[in-house]
Order: sequence, then structure tokens, then C-alpha cells
Amino acid sequence: MTTKQLTRCAVLASLALALSYVEGMFPPPVPLPGFKLGLANLVTVFALYALGARYALLILLTRVLLGAMFAGNASALLYSLLGALAALFAMALLARSRRLSVYGVSVGGAAAHNIGQVCAAMLTLTSAAPLAYLPVLLVVSLFTGALTGLIAALLLGAAQRLKLT
Amino acid sequence: MKRSPELKPTKYDALVVLAVLALAALCAARFWFAPSDAARSVVISINGAKTDRLPFDDAERDYKNNGYTVHIRVTAEGVCVEHADCPTQDCVKTGTISRPGQSIVCLPARIVVSVAGGAADAGYDAVAG
Repeated sequence: MTTKQLTRCAVLASLALALSYVEGMFPPPVPLPGFKLGLANLVTVFALYALGARYALLILLTRVLLGAMFAGNASALLYSLLGALAALFAMALLARSRRLSVYGVSVGGAAAHNIGQVCAAMLTLTSAAPLAYLPVLLVVSLFTGALTGLIAALLLGAAQRLKLT
Repeated sequence: MKRSPELKPTKYDALVVLAVLALAALCAARFWFAPSDAARSVVISINGAKTDRLPFDDAERDYKNNGYTVHIRVTAEGVCVEHADCPTQDCVKTGTISRPGQSIVCLPARIVVSVAGGAADAGYDAVAG
């Protein structure tokens, strides 16, 4: 890893941390438990395209571990970790297809994020009950995924024009 | 740029949306259309301990505790306290309950009638995440 790559990862990781922190300061726009816009996922999408899956994974792990430390909530770590890992895994797979745009990849990632979190909930509760809530989360993830896809498309377009990456 | 990404939505993106919708429908069908009534039952707790569990079939029972008698009636639709000799009568005024998680409390007799089953059986109000 070169210094340039290290710096980029560090900047993106702190950006992701700041985004998820700021997002947590505002009440969710839709009063649904578990509903989040997932702005930190935006960084994962950007890093996946701009730097590749391996760097995206590093950034994601940094964000999730530091985020749990700042929040002082170890029980939430499993939720964010499983959600974020599932999202990255799905997006890395989907991004391999050249026919899918940033939008499709982002929607798939948002859906996978919710699936990961519901799995974490089922693991902690040792009950299948959280699965009943998954349909609602999946439908919502279509909208949040499309929104993060839009922002990621704008960002990646700007990065291409500026030749940042 | 590692890969030059497609920045405009393509028709293949719709496939991802459809796949997510299909998965949502599958989960919904599994849970929301399954007959959950079969799992419902009436739980009677006296002094905080579960003492009786009844199915949602027509039945009438008397429970005595703390010097009071509570008469409950169970039907297929729900369960209610029909009459009680307690001074407050809150339990009678609560009326009929039927959904998992609902309960009727008779404080003087220290008797709680609740509906168990479905998601309410997990016993969690909320989990922080």
C-alpha cells in the first residue's frame, strides 16, 4: 500500500465515520425502527469503484470498529458489522457485472445491509421473529439504495471529471 | 478509477429491484399470511408466576388469589374478565383482549391475564442497534 492509497483510505474512513455520526444526530425522516438512510454506505460504494473491493473492506472495518467504540455500544457492533459486510459482499459481486449501474449496485447493497442486520437480530434474539420485519426493510431499502446510488453517481462523475482517482 | 462505472441507471438495474421485491414478498408471505392464531394462547399469571395456559376455545374459569375471585371467559375471539369481586373493577373495564402482547391486570388479586404467541413470545420490547 502506497502512502497515497493509505491517505485515501484514511480520509474515506473518517468521512464514513463522520457521515454515520451526523446521520445519528438527526431523527430519521421516516419513523421506522431500524430505518436509516445509510449515508456511510455511500463511502463504501465510492471506495468500491474508486479503489476496489479490498480497500473498501479496510475502510468499512475501520469505520465499523471505530464507530462502535465511539458509540460505546458493543452490542451494536454485531449489527453494523454484519450489515456492512453483507452490503459490501453483495455490491462487490454486483459491481462485477458491467451491465449494472451504480444505482443497481447501491440498491443491492442497501438490501443486503438490511438482510445482514436482520440476521444479526436473529442471532442475538435466537428467534426467527425479526425475519417478519424484513419485507418492510427491503422495500424501504429500494428507496434509500436509489438515493445513495444517485449521490454516488454524482460523486463518481465528479471524481472522473476532476481526475481525482 | 479502478473500474469505470456506469453512472446512469440501466434496464438491468430493474432486475436488482425486482429481485429485492421478490425476496420481500417471499418473506412477507411466509410470515404475514401464515395462520398465527394457532400459536396464540391465554396465559394467566398469579403473583407474577405463570400458573395457567389456555387455548382460545370457549371456557370459563375462576381464579382465586389474595382474597379475591376473578372470573374469566375465553372465546375464539378473545379473553375477558367477566366479573371480579375486587373493589376497583379495572380488569372488567379493560374488556376483551385478543392480540399477542395484550394483557388484563387485576391489581388487588395480583392476577395478570395475557395473550401469548407470535412475535410477542420472544419477550423483547426493543433491542438497541
